[in-house]
Amino acid sequence: MIAVLGLVVGVVVGLFVRPEVPAVVEPYLPIAVVAALDAVFGGLRAMLDGIFDDKVFVVSFLSNVVVAALIVFLGDKLGVGAQLSTGVVVVLGIRIFSNAAAIRRHVFRA
Amino acid sequence: MNPEGTPVPEENPVPEEPAQPEVTGRQRLLRSLWPPKVSRAQLIVALLLFVLGLGLAIQVRSNSESSALRGARQEDLVRILDELDDRTQRLEDEKQRLDDQRTELENSSDQAEEARRQTVEKERQLGVLAGTVAAEGPGITVTVTDSKGAVEGDMLLDAIQELRAAGAEAIQINDVRVVANTYLTDGSDGVEVDGRAISAPYRFKVIGKAQDLEPALNIPGGVVQTLEKEQATVEVTRAEKIVVDALRRANRPDYARSSSQ
Repeated sequence: MIAVLGLVVGVVVGLFVRPEVPAVVEPYLPIAVVAALDAVFGGLRAMLDGIFDDKVFVVSFLSNVVVAALIVFLGDKLGVGAQLSTGVVVVLGIRIFSNAAAIRRHVFRA
Repeated sequence: MNPEGTPVPEENPVPEEPAQPEVTGRQRLLRSLWPPKVSRAQLIVALLLFVLGLGLAIQVRSNSESSALRGARQEDLVRILDELDDRTQRLEDEKQRLDDQRTELENSSDQAEEARRQTVEKERQLGVLAGTVAAEGPGITVTVTDSKGAVEGDMLLDAIQELRAAGAEAIQINDVRVVANTYLTDGSDGVEVDGRAISAPYRFKVIGKAQDLEPALNIPGGVVQTLEKEQATVEVTRAEKIVVDALRRANRPDYARSSSQ
């Protein structure tokens, strides 16, 4: 419950406080958000499976974000930033879909 | 176990539910939602989800409130800038071309206007000469009173020629305009000017320099003396404003055409 509250508070703060994002981080923010979403869906699925572990969740969340940003950064340096970030989004999207399917089986039993 | 590690095969939850009497995934979810329990895991996950929500909101807002340029990459921005520069250049060229065209058109219309103005001016001047428009200006009035009927056409012609020689610019006798091809004849009942009979007293309205016109008539042996010899009286008065308003029709010449030379 507190976790859901955290998400809601984060969205509200982001919408109303309007924090300025440093220009250096800005290009990586969308990819980092998608990576974090993947981690959250993975965590939700693990919880439904009864194998949730907060330490694992924290590590996977942070490493997901960092790796995704790193890949995009590397792609920018190599001159294939656009293509590489598309690839990252595709891979993360597939994982989100498969996790969502598992969650759906738990919740709706279908 | 890594939550987003090797995805668990999807048939996994299916045997889990009926086989084990323990809590299902749904019950576990509901239990964790309510009642809220403050635990380290909940707090940590809340913190991470807070960060996620923050990033999500920022990204959505920056995407929706500013243009697509905000998230664009450097090379895309450079390309867009180049395209804008090209477009600006093209539009500048076109503006320059249209400006030139406009200046050209304005000049030509100015010239046409000037030419039209000069034509109107010239038409007025020629109209005064040809007698097709009324004229006004300083000059003299000559009244020849002929009680004996002794005045003849040639005497009036002398007077006209004397006036012309003195610089008269527009002349009218009674109500007949005197122009280049005016002729005078002696008719049965007086003098005829251009075929129209006029009767005494003969009133000349003359536009010109009065200081030249009056002495020209009064010179010894001149017009005035000749007329007075015939028992006619001549009265010359100067006026600041003489109106010569007798008109004659402009005749289109039958044979003569204007030559370009």
